[in-house]
Amino acid sequence: MTVNEEAVMWVEKYRPKTLDEVVDLNDIVQSLKSFIRNPKTMPHLLLAGIPGTGKTTVALCIAHELFGPSWKTFTLELNASDERGIDTVRDRVKDFSRYSRAAFGNVPFALIILDESDQMTGAAQTALRRIMETSSRTSRFILICNQSGKIIEPIQSRCAVFRFSKLDRKAMIDHLCYIAGKEKLKLSPEAAERIVDYAEGDLRHAINSLQAAAAYKDGVVDEKTVSLVLGEASPVQVQLMIKKALYGDFMEARKIMYDLMGSLGFSGADIVRQMNRELYKISTLTPEQKADLTNIIGEYDYRLTQGANSDIQLSALLAQFAKIGKAAGETT
Amino acid sequence: MSLDLLWVEKYRPKRIVDVLGNEEAKAAFVAWFKAKRRTKKAILLYGPPGVGKTTLVNAAAAEFGFRVIEMNASDTRSEKAITAVAAPATSFVALDTFSSDIKGSILFLDEVDGITGTEDRGGVSAIIKIVENTRVPVVMAANDPDVDKLRPLKKVCMLVPFYQVRVPLIIATLQRICQKEGVKAYFEALEEIAQNSRGDVRSAINDLQSLAERSGTLTLQDTAMLTYRNRDMGMDETLKGYFSAKSLQEASTLLSRSSVDYDELLMTVGDNLPMRYTNPADLAAAYDFVSQADMYRGRIGTENWGLLKYFYNSLAQAAAISPGTYQSFKFIHPPIRIITLFWSKGKRTMLDGICGKIGGHCHVSRKNAKENFIPFLKLMLTRQKAAEAIAWLELAPEEVDFLAKMIKF
Repeated sequence: MTVNEEAVMWVEKYRPKTLDEVVDLNDIVQSLKSFIRNPKTMPHLLLAGIPGTGKTTVALCIAHELFGPSWKTFTLELNASDERGIDTVRDRVKDFSRYSRAAFGNVPFALIILDESDQMTGAAQTALRRIMETSSRTSRFILICNQSGKIIEPIQSRCAVFRFSKLDRKAMIDHLCYIAGKEKLKLSPEAAERIVDYAEGDLRHAINSLQAAAAYKDGVVDEKTVSLVLGEASPVQVQLMIKKALYGDFMEARKIMYDLMGSLGFSGADIVRQMNRELYKISTLTPEQKADLTNIIGEYDYRLTQGANSDIQLSALLAQFAKIGKAAGETT
Repeated sequence: MSLDLLWVEKYRPKRIVDVLGNEEAKAAFVAWFKAKRRTKKAILLYGPPGVGKTTLVNAAAAEFGFRVIEMNASDTRSEKAITAVAAPATSFVALDTFSSDIKGSILFLDEVDGITGTEDRGGVSAIIKIVENTRVPVVMAANDPDVDKLRPLKKVCMLVPFYQVRVPLIIATLQRICQKEGVKAYFEALEEIAQNSRGDVRSAINDLQSLAERSGTLTLQDTAMLTYRNRDMGMDETLKGYFSAKSLQEASTLLSRSSVDYDELLMTVGDNLPMRYTNPADLAAAYDFVSQADMYRGRIGTENWGLLKYFYNSLAQAAAISPGTYQSFKFIHPPIRIITLFWSKGKRTMLDGICGKIGGHCHVSRKNAKENFIPFLKLMLTRQKAAEAIAWLELAPEEVDFLAKMIKF
């Protein structure tokens, strides 16, 4: 495997450059390789699946294989979740497709990779659909998303859709061991299993965990270190905030909330998302209680988008937690 | 109450000399009005309400024999509407000029600061066009001349400021009215009314009338309720009344009286709620209403002010969850968000900036970087193993400091 020696973050350093190197995606890779052999037949692509399963990697591999080392000149990479307005997307896409008309070798088009495209609004997608039509002679789109259902039908019908499922445990463990070997790390099998269990099929998370764990002890990653890293890398304060709210200390919970927002600059939406994730790790709650609380989080996630002050919405959410926590405490 | 029963109308000065105070402004206006050749074809009278701007215009027109064509805020003032009314009036010499006592027209646009951005689209530029082409004097009045949209208007107008009318003048007028209406009033009472009006003659006369209808002889005591009605209710008083309200009705009445800024009120109520309701179920219920109020605030944005009533309604509901349980407490004010100064956009931009750099190098969105890279980067930083990563991600020293500060989270 070619290693990107310049990159420091391992997710980049060991990101495959060619489709052959891609981990555990044989069927998809085989279909895509036929497009590379004859680029003229390549349609627009829609890559859908959970995070960390190789969608972006595959898209970048395609760019590499089509254009070689100068791929960046012929590829526009946009993240729909960052480029908020459709205007940005539209302007840049339009400009790019116009500018890149000069074809490369036998590749008669430029490549536009639109990551997290399910974050685009319906209106933005409709505009994109037009652009896909008008620029189809000069550019190809690779749309990447978590949920293909959020992509409007007309776009889906214009794309060849590839679904990425959770990566195979064994393939992930093998890949971690491969990286450990390259980095001259002693990775214990239990540690590798622990990382992979925690990552839930997200290879990016697994590699980041491994790299952080490697920073703890020189040359060795054992299960103990991994547990430590995974514990510390999780948002401890968010967990604490949930617990304080549930066990009746609303004021303290709210203070943590203000710290998260004020001194750290987390947005209300960031905190709500993390709360939802951390909720499931709290062992003292029953599945029913968790489901109820998730429901409430969902309601306030929506209210955040409607409201004017995220601290007020989060306070209200914590107050709901305090109420449920108290009620639960009284019945048990 | 018919118009002629309203004392403000009944005693509205008919002649320029009778208009109270603001002598300089009056002189400037009259000079402009009488001038054969005006340097500026339009004039903008501005100042607080009730100091005589409209009265002066009408009095001057009557005295000099002009007809007033008036548009005020109750009319739509889109470009079309203004042109429809004003253009004929300003471009032709009206026929009735030939009758003996009318010498011409003036166009009077009252409350020009009330021209709204959306409904009165093009209003300001239409006025400017009319001023440029007009053959008749154009007079405008406004309370606040500093609104942005009026800036182009100010260039084509002569500006005449009006100030609050001085208290002794108002007292004298009130005395005169009392005499004519056969109302007995103590001097202290009239003084209180005049003081309370803050130089607004109209409101002083209205107050006098409403009090006089109540009792035969006006005493200082009678003015007490007036003081309550008009005085600005500060944040402390508002909060006290709000949190101790015994019913929904009381809470909404109080909110309608308070002059506290609604955004600040919303934040402050949110901050203080946990002290008011110690029972978690009550607190959750109250916060639910405050959360709804905040949603209304969000939907109001900068233009849907019609929703403000629902905002106040939700806020009032939050005060009336369990009226019996109120115990006085010390208010948190100003809002926590403002006290804890670090609530700055700068912080978020810093984190977003870092995440943007990670995103650029690792092909992920900022959101993804925040969740999947920052926690691990932080750990590497605590172990002093992040130097290479920092260099590769091209993080600035202040960004590294920021990350280091985040470590405890």
